[in-house]
Amino acid sequence: MARRTSLPVTFVVPTIAILLVLSMVPTLYAIVIALQNRELSTPDYSWVWLSNFYDLFLDRRFLNAVWVSVKWEIVTVVATMVVAIGLGVLMFEVASPRLRNVYCLLFIIPVLLPRVSAAFVWKFAYHPLYGIATYPYRLITGGLIFDPLSKPATALFAVASVDVWQWGLFFAVIVLKLLETLPPQPIEAARLDHAKRWQIHAYVTLPMLKAPLISLMFVKMIESLRSFDLIYVMTRGGPGVATETLDMYAFSQGFIESGKVSYASAMAVLMMIATVITFTMLWKRVQA
Amino acid sequence: MKPGRLIGKAILALAGFLAVFPLLWTALNALKNNVDIITRVPRLVFTPTSANISYILGRDSVLTGLYNSVVACGSAVLIGVVLGLPAAYAVARYPNRWAGDIQFFVLSLRFLPPVAVAIPLMVIWLQVGLYDTLPALIITYSLLTISVIMWLAIPAFQGVPKEIEEAAFVDGYGAYSVFWRIALPVAARSLAGAVAFSFVLVWNEFLIALMLSSSNAKTLPIVASELSQQGMNVPWGILNASVVLLSLPPLLFLGVLSGFLNSVFRQKKT
Repeated sequence: MARRTSLPVTFVVPTIAILLVLSMVPTLYAIVIALQNRELSTPDYSWVWLSNFYDLFLDRRFLNAVWVSVKWEIVTVVATMVVAIGLGVLMFEVASPRLRNVYCLLFIIPVLLPRVSAAFVWKFAYHPLYGIATYPYRLITGGLIFDPLSKPATALFAVASVDVWQWGLFFAVIVLKLLETLPPQPIEAARLDHAKRWQIHAYVTLPMLKAPLISLMFVKMIESLRSFDLIYVMTRGGPGVATETLDMYAFSQGFIESGKVSYASAMAVLMMIATVITFTMLWKRVQA
Repeated sequence: MKPGRLIGKAILALAGFLAVFPLLWTALNALKNNVDIITRVPRLVFTPTSANISYILGRDSVLTGLYNSVVACGSAVLIGVVLGLPAAYAVARYPNRWAGDIQFFVLSLRFLPPVAVAIPLMVIWLQVGLYDTLPALIITYSLLTISVIMWLAIPAFQGVPKEIEEAAFVDGYGAYSVFWRIALPVAARSLAGAVAFSFVLVWNEFLIALMLSSSNAKTLPIVASELSQQGMNVPWGILNASVVLLSLPPLLFLGVLSGFLNSVFRQKKT
């Protein structure tokens, strides 16, 4: 459609210009703030250049936050993909078309909930005395208390379970839809060769879906970085610093505890550099 | 094979139950008095009360939050539609050497950590004098809605059969009227999904609203999260009611979004 028209210019240029301004101004300004020593309490500031970054690497709480973030990424991404592929294949194998539709609707509900709502729903459910999710444990043990959110060993997993509840079920729907779009011939052929059902999926269907599944994982990796609301409502980074991710730590440094906006911004800039580099590289590889 | 199928069905049923039961339980708790919630054994039979819901709906902070959420999200989505849909159409239909870069740029906005955007914006809005106002929130959210709508609308426009548009050109339509009268209506269903998705995204947004508002511009998620910090006596019923109120608007789009998923994956087949 190589027609001479002004449409592409009038449609694209203003939008991209606005997006560029809206994204570049805060991004560049974040770097500027990170090189200063601004605090919320005082309007004065001076340039300190890289000293915020230098301090960060001596800050054990920062290093802990990096480690928690890495753990969080790995746990949520892996668990989400396992749940999604497991349930997607199960629906494909054992559910009738009508039942598939019902499950699809049910599985989309959790991801639509605001993270704040999801966090509250499960915070109630995990309540050691009155929670519905801890009730079976109280019933079996005759009233012993199980408090997953206040134990350092379990808190991260308890919060991660909510994330997987939201995204794993939703991705299961997408995996099912992907399976439904596959041509039936290879599956038939494998069946004729007496392949077992799990073998068909492990060796035929899932390898055929490799590209879209990697894209899904990519999306989940990006979304997993936005878990602030979940952690903020459920644990506030606690107990201790067991669930304190980078954005949680940046928030508490910048606003709750000390108001060190520049220090928080330095952290955010490091996060930004790390994610942009990682995801750009991953994206180029996914596209290739 | 038989027992395997049975186990499979049982697992699926359990997953379906887990998907909705926690939410239903919250809705049930919203109708309970505190004594019926704080029990060692969960109570299914109780005398329902509407006190929690009327308390929530009668509070000024909740109503202001609801108003702010509706105005901020509604305006940002509107801006996203006005700026995002035409741009997506141009990228989809008039590919040039920038098209790939534009798509990557739009996606890369999703990589930006929200804290990295919120901290400088807070300082900027403070300096401009727009901190804690709805316009500041709307402009910030527009970045989100424009990029999400563009990202989802490009494939939707690509899904419109080229022949229809070619036929319209032959009939003497200009490029703009082809967009208005052909591409928009034909792609309407997928586009509605993209718009609904961007609405759900900003409605659920928390961190940016938390950092860009202190009293006037608080959105509903912030108000809801603050209700939990009211002293030692946790108002369980009220909290549950506020969670239900916050969750209802996105759930209204359940039908639109599942239709959107279906249409996206039907296109891939061909």
